[in-house]
Amino acid sequence: MAKYLTKRILYSIFSVMAVVVIVMIMVYSLMDRIKVFANDSNYTKLLNNQKITYRYQQWESYGYLDYVSYTDYINQLALDGEIDEETRSAAVSLGRTADKDSETVAAYVAEFTEYYESQGYTVERYDAVLAGSKVATGGTQILIAYKDIPLISRIISYFSNLFEFDNINYVEDDVGERGLTFTLYDPLYGGEKFSPAIIGNGTYHKYLLYFDDQFPYIHQNFLTINLGVSYSVNLGIDVWDTMTQTQGSYVMREVTYETGLTENSADNLHTATYISGSQSATAVNAERYVDNYTSVSTYNFGRSKMGYSFIMGIIAVIMAYVLGLPLGVLMARYKEGLLDRIGTLYIIFIIAVPSLAYIFMFKAIGGSVFGLPTTFNMESSSKLYYVLPIISLALPSIGNLMKWMRRYMIDQMNSDYVKFARSGGLSETEIFSKHIMKNAAIPIVHGIPGSVLGALTGAIITERVYVVPGAGNLLTSAISAYDNGVIVGVTLFYAVLTVTSIILGDLLMSMVDPRISFTTKDR
Amino acid sequence: MNDKELFEKYDMSAEELFARIDHNELESEKITAPRYSYWKSVFRVFFRKKSNIVMLALLGVIIAMSYLYPTFVEYDKYGNVLDAASKHLRPLAAMKLLGYNIHWILGTGSAGNSTFDAVWYGAQISISLAFVCALINLTIGVVVGAVWGFSKKVDAIMMNVYNVVANIPYVLLISVLVMLFSPSFWTMVFALTVTGWISIAYFIRTQVIIIRDREYNLASKCLGTSTPKIAMKNILPFMTSVIVTLAATEIPSYISYEVFLAYIGMGLSDMSLGRLIYEAEGAMVTPGWEFEFWSPVAVSAIVSIVLYVVGQNLGDASDPRTHM
Repeated sequence: MAKYLTKRILYSIFSVMAVVVIVMIMVYSLMDRIKVFANDSNYTKLLNNQKITYRYQQWESYGYLDYVSYTDYINQLALDGEIDEETRSAAVSLGRTADKDSETVAAYVAEFTEYYESQGYTVERYDAVLAGSKVATGGTQILIAYKDIPLISRIISYFSNLFEFDNINYVEDDVGERGLTFTLYDPLYGGEKFSPAIIGNGTYHKYLLYFDDQFPYIHQNFLTINLGVSYSVNLGIDVWDTMTQTQGSYVMREVTYETGLTENSADNLHTATYISGSQSATAVNAERYVDNYTSVSTYNFGRSKMGYSFIMGIIAVIMAYVLGLPLGVLMARYKEGLLDRIGTLYIIFIIAVPSLAYIFMFKAIGGSVFGLPTTFNMESSSKLYYVLPIISLALPSIGNLMKWMRRYMIDQMNSDYVKFARSGGLSETEIFSKHIMKNAAIPIVHGIPGSVLGALTGAIITERVYVVPGAGNLLTSAISAYDNGVIVGVTLFYAVLTVTSIILGDLLMSMVDPRISFTTKDR
Repeated sequence: MNDKELFEKYDMSAEELFARIDHNELESEKITAPRYSYWKSVFRVFFRKKSNIVMLALLGVIIAMSYLYPTFVEYDKYGNVLDAASKHLRPLAAMKLLGYNIHWILGTGSAGNSTFDAVWYGAQISISLAFVCALINLTIGVVVGAVWGFSKKVDAIMMNVYNVVANIPYVLLISVLVMLFSPSFWTMVFALTVTGWISIAYFIRTQVIIIRDREYNLASKCLGTSTPKIAMKNILPFMTSVIVTLAATEIPSYISYEVFLAYIGMGLSDMSLGRLIYEAEGAMVTPGWEFEFWSPVAVSAIVSIVLYVVGQNLGDASDPRTHM
């Protein structure tokens, strides 16, 4: 069994990686990269050379290429101490055209060109765009070098950065003694309440393990998952964080900072991460923190994207199984009866009518007949907002489960063991509950992990129709915003969930049905 | 009573009752049974149910409306665009304003256009898309699925291909393709078929594997029948009802999918049903504007239901076990 499972998992990892590679090829190579700017109002406003600079900067942040401008290069040289301030200011001012360069500039331009061309970059110079004798808006002369990042190296770096382990040598600055401290009394709770925590110095996160009052109550920061950085959907935030961070308005509570300052704030000090030089950078930070672990996230009123999707999805899944299975059983038990006919009509309706159409129908009926709220409000604590989305998610799955349960039951009803049981004198109820149902439930069991995990990914239409801030819309909004990082990250997440649910389904099935075995030996 | 009297009583001759026939080798090989024609029986069973005739007639009307109506009626979305009073009208108001004819029985849309005309133009595009996609996917799917089911070597390769392809989000694939090319009809067909066939092939593969090793096929193999002949003569007839049933679920699913894609803003640039719904979404909750939203929704629902029911019943009828 273990050997089979290892093989299955290896195969699954391979297929997940293949999916990510295909998606990367699709978004980075097949899609025209100028499309990134389709909805970018900044881009359309810019003119001339500034537009070109902006274009390459954006492409660099989207991960298409490496880009260096001449100014950056000279400034970097100055930072490294290779040239002094005087040379820097002399070298940095390019001439309007190449032949108007001063001698110093020409020398550094030649150096820049030679250095980057030897590394495979393309060096381009754009002369000043003139309007009369003056430089036109955004027409300042530029010298840039860029190199496309090859797909292979992008793929390799993506997978190698997928899991990040925090370690005490993460921070490059001098932070004093590096190390992990284990304490039974978390200093954030005043140091008296019993609450174990592991605090690091030199690590990226300050608190590596801690307890608090937020689900799931115990949190770790040793291992971080990097699915890819979002650009236009959620600037600079990792896809995983985009999905799991709470949303909505701040929840204020009394917070005592490390310096002893107490105020009403939404800051979650447990999430502090290191930012070099940040403590002394602003007075706000200096007042509150004693070290450079100053970047904190906040407590928000709403759930995370995934939280909303999951809570709605899981209730819908439970409803579907609780209602759909018994209905399917009854339909098979009283075949051709009234319930069977009504159920079949319902199944046909669910299968044939476009899902968008019936979700709108549920919305219209729920809103006008039952007076339920049809637009989700994150700031309200009323549970009524959940009713319609959950019903819209559950009703189709109920129909689907009814259909399959009825199908499997009827298939079993004609088999020999049922005839044998009947000839042995068992009552119909006994045959149904003890024999047919057990056998018909086996293929149903296979789908349970899939539907539970599927709740995490959200439902695109439902969430859009009811304006739920869930995870279902992430992929479509990433696609319409051309956010490559999010597209790849979400795909990876979906693929892992699908593969996991298939494996779990198989395992569950073999647990329920002892006849199914994945190892041929014990037969 | 002797023989003669008996013959006279029943007005018969000895020749009529008994006649000597010479032994004929050819005749003795003939097997007498009622004539059985597969497709004739399929339609006999299909038309035995009266509701099927109604459904088929309804399907005929819908197809005729979506293909013939647009050829006779010129639909100009912006014909009334300058007439501000003609926008978002209820049927009665529209007819009062624009004349009592068939164009206005569903009211007017956001540009003063006829909702009735728009719906049938849209239905034509949506139904065509569904049929073309279903035809391509089913053809490729059945052929590949048959090979996939028969050959163990192909099975090993195709399972891995399937695991990868089935995991690529469909929305992503379609939107990238739509972004690459223009969102035209044939781009959409390409996007829906480029990986769409694989799930059908997988389904057919499972069916083929189930019946491939049945005893009658084993017997056929022992008697020396070639594999292509087994596939064509033994397995394909068995699959007919499966394929028809599959087509019944596939065709409405493409209509549904097109509506879904249009709704999330990745649909056709043509005025399909999905695009009509997408553009009129705001009209759903606006009092007095409901017709322009609910008409395309209702038509897409009716089209899909009728196609589905006819397909399912045809699938049932094409199962030879129902021909008794």
